[in-house]
Amino acid sequence: MKPNRNPLTAVLIAFASLWACSRVDAAETAADAAKKVGTLAKPQPTLPKDQTSNSVASAASLPLHERIDRLIEQGLETKFALPATDGEFVRRVHLDLTGMIPSADEARDFIDDPSPYKRDKLIDHLLAAPAYARRMQIVFDVMLMERRDQQKVPADQWKTYLYQSFLENKPYDQLVKEILSGDGSDPTNRGPAKFYLEREGDPYILTRDVGRLFLGRDMQCAQCHDHPLVDDYKQAHYHGLYAFFSRTYGVQPAGGAFMLGEKGEGDVTYKSVFKKKITHTTGPRVIDAAPPVEPTVVKGEEYWVAPVNGTRAIPKHSRRSLLPAALASNENPAFARNAANRLWALLLGRGLVDPVDFDHSDNPPSHPELLDLLANEFAQSHYNIKAFMREIMLTRAYQRSSEPPAEVSPADLAAERYAVANLRPLSAEQLAWSVMRAAGIVDAKRAEVERSLIGVDPRFRAIARLDPKREALAERLIESETYRSLVGNEQPFVHFFSAGAGQAQDRLAPTVHQALFLSNGDPIRYWLGPSPSWLVGRASALSDPAATADLLYLALLSRRPTGEERAAIVASLAPRTADKPKAVQEIAWAIVASSEFRYNH
Amino acid sequence: MRCTYSCGSAEHVLSRRSFLGGTAALLGGAVAGVPGFSPFALADSLEKKRKQILVVYLAGGSSQLETWDPKPKTETGGPFGAIETSVPGIMISELLPRTAKLMHLMALVRGVNTHAAAVDDHGKGDYLMHTGRAQAPGQEYPRLGAVASKFLGKETDALPGYIHIAPGHGGLGRNESAFLGPRHAPLYLGNGQAPANTLRDPAITDPADQSRQAFRCMLNDRFAKRRRSAETEAYTSTYEQAAKLMRERDVFDISKEHAADRFRYGDFDFGRHCLLARRLLEAGATYVQCVHSNYDTHNENFAFHLEQVGEFDQGFSALLEDLHVRGRLEHTLVIVMSEFGRTPHINFYQGRDHWCKAWSIALAGCGIKKGIALGKTNAKGTEVVDHEVTGGHLFHTYLNAVGLDPAGGFEVDGRPIQIAEPTATSIKELLA
Repeated sequence: MKPNRNPLTAVLIAFASLWACSRVDAAETAADAAKKVGTLAKPQPTLPKDQTSNSVASAASLPLHERIDRLIEQGLETKFALPATDGEFVRRVHLDLTGMIPSADEARDFIDDPSPYKRDKLIDHLLAAPAYARRMQIVFDVMLMERRDQQKVPADQWKTYLYQSFLENKPYDQLVKEILSGDGSDPTNRGPAKFYLEREGDPYILTRDVGRLFLGRDMQCAQCHDHPLVDDYKQAHYHGLYAFFSRTYGVQPAGGAFMLGEKGEGDVTYKSVFKKKITHTTGPRVIDAAPPVEPTVVKGEEYWVAPVNGTRAIPKHSRRSLLPAALASNENPAFARNAANRLWALLLGRGLVDPVDFDHSDNPPSHPELLDLLANEFAQSHYNIKAFMREIMLTRAYQRSSEPPAEVSPADLAAERYAVANLRPLSAEQLAWSVMRAAGIVDAKRAEVERSLIGVDPRFRAIARLDPKREALAERLIESETYRSLVGNEQPFVHFFSAGAGQAQDRLAPTVHQALFLSNGDPIRYWLGPSPSWLVGRASALSDPAATADLLYLALLSRRPTGEERAAIVASLAPRTADKPKAVQEIAWAIVASSEFRYNH
Repeated sequence: MRCTYSCGSAEHVLSRRSFLGGTAALLGGAVAGVPGFSPFALADSLEKKRKQILVVYLAGGSSQLETWDPKPKTETGGPFGAIETSVPGIMISELLPRTAKLMHLMALVRGVNTHAAAVDDHGKGDYLMHTGRAQAPGQEYPRLGAVASKFLGKETDALPGYIHIAPGHGGLGRNESAFLGPRHAPLYLGNGQAPANTLRDPAITDPADQSRQAFRCMLNDRFAKRRRSAETEAYTSTYEQAAKLMRERDVFDISKEHAADRFRYGDFDFGRHCLLARRLLEAGATYVQCVHSNYDTHNENFAFHLEQVGEFDQGFSALLEDLHVRGRLEHTLVIVMSEFGRTPHINFYQGRDHWCKAWSIALAGCGIKKGIALGKTNAKGTEVVDHEVTGGHLFHTYLNAVGLDPAGGFEVDGRPIQIAEPTATSIKELLA
């Protein structure tokens, strides 16, 4: 017999060995996870209390999501959009927390669930699931690496690191500190160092990107002089940040991997191109926070390992190592503020400061008080990302419909007023996974993985469900294996739906190349094929054309068709009994190519 | 099923066909096999005077000293000599013998200084030269191609207004049309090939395609009717463009051109891309950008330029001459530019580095004076000593040359925005 080469083998062994163990300490139940998420409802005494009106001053005792809503809604006399329909909501929350649309069954179950608490329940359920960690892995990978080629660190190591971090809901400040502490010298932990290493340890690139991504300030133009257009961005800020990196360099020691070395000497001096006579010197410093204290180093004794060409120097005092603590510190309000703004933008489709890396006083936030509140709360929760996202998703602002109320002026619908849910185009990954989900590819793969993992005997499956820890572990293994099997399909979508490497990946304009890909490209053509376990096959097999219409809409749009839409489908299927799968495929394609599918709405 | 906007439906196909006229429709089958003859010529003759733009972009930063502003026998001049051109008194690098014979059609701009915008950086130089503005975060202005598409293109055009022939496949996601939207975004022809995915699955018949497109339109109507439509309009318009492109895919196929032309333009990528540019311009494309890569010669500047400029000379001179002979040059503005020039100083590796203080570009055609060299650098080429111009001036000049008012404006979210950087002006000495 041939040896078993099933890629599942490793997973199966892992699962079986845990199954045999009496303790399954790595696993946690959904309930545990939900407890861990916590809430940010505790009132904070630091809130401003100067308002005379009833709105915010009295709000301190309210949960955070309510305080957010009051700040959004105060002073807005306009009508707001109605709450999103169940269909809109279930689709939106799944896209935001799992990175793909819900299955037809999930959509139907949610829509038909009469419970008044079902929205909160769904948010908590999805936050506790491993798909949340996967979604955030992708979001942070794209945000921090900006689709750079992988030259120095295999993407898997970095993505696994991110995935694990979000699985355990690692505090954001800890995550950033770990990423900014990596230098690639520890071969067992090169994942987090990818941020530095793919930028080749280049001090200029690191200065710019740390400023943009962790401080919300693109200070590039302040390199040669105070920023010409932005009063807040001083040349001193640029060079203070630069001083953490100025001694750093990338090196690949013979026979080793690429890593960072650092010199133990060299100061940063700069002068304005407009005032060339005055030379300034700066040590490392994050914007206007007090500079971190540096030890005195005796001249001539700067190194543990002195720099020699082609080797990695190790200084006794590393300036770069001062950065994580100085950056992720309460002394530096820009840190929490940037993170809060980016997470808000992720869920609401627009940052309170917009663009997210251009935070300065001439580009003020749409809701200054709200941004302060969010930044404070986030920091005070010890940067609990899950709890923070949960509060945002509980807001009326997040849960509004994208359909405007009747008779409102376009100005009232401006994206920064949050009176109507903003349309957000699906990211490359969301689009790839959503098409696969709708077409039935993801669920077919999941079923296959689950069969290999737990078997087909219903009694055995029932027993497996008795232990919540094992159930949670099984879910994690199934999700991971399904992801691993299908992730390669993201590639063509990333090719057509992303910006160039090293550029910000938001605000992409639609292109004709994308429309051609969705119209004629291989993946969608293939996935909408009539395989019996996939969507088109299943929908064609239903004898009632109205049921076909319902299944197509629930699978693709997470809602049932309107009467008119159902009638249109029934009418178009009537003359096509001979080639029903083809007719169903045409309708499925039209839905995939529609605006309603393209956007998170 | 009703469709409230154009979406590649049958009616639009028909209206475009009727625009081409009955002759084209009748001859359609017969002309398809004749190389070098395209039905576009018929439509094109209806509007002979239509302004077009061709940009040849020497990516990486070509050396002014090995092209338009040689300084032979000086310490910065390098090994190559200068040759006479068809215009007495104007000498260019000996690497450009064919182009030299066409100098009477061209105008050189030898006093380009883009230092004020601090553009020794590829990205910033590229941005400045295509928008006429210094790059600033949070601001995106449309590139020249998008502006041309907007103001010189027409809704009825079969081809997208902005076509970009790139050496690799890259650049798909850049926001080059900024607030002008996807209708004016570049169509990328990676390595001169037709865009990917322009062939429909043969299993889908015409009626089947029409019915699925109609269903898509019905869904979009419902969605857009109840939501802000500006965002979705941009998306749905890309399907209209896709439908047009799928009908016109032959226009990207240079094997339909004569073999002799392929030989004359050069049997290498840039030569083929120049021939494709001619084919596209003749098919009525409003703006074609042809990229020649890569001139970023920090090492071995001279060996690289010997090879690269040789390719450029052959492909470009063939294209320029054809545009002239075929009477197209009078309504086609031709621009040869880079993101910056290269240092007069020759570095340790026989290379030249980035240099934006004194460099050159070349122009020809529509609205441009013929046979002149404007501006001057000093003996070593380190500084501009006469007629200094920057990216903003050039951008104004391009617009003027094709009859657009640089002071004209767009309205973006109710805010007026001038097409060209308001503080700059046109270079009158260049305008015919």
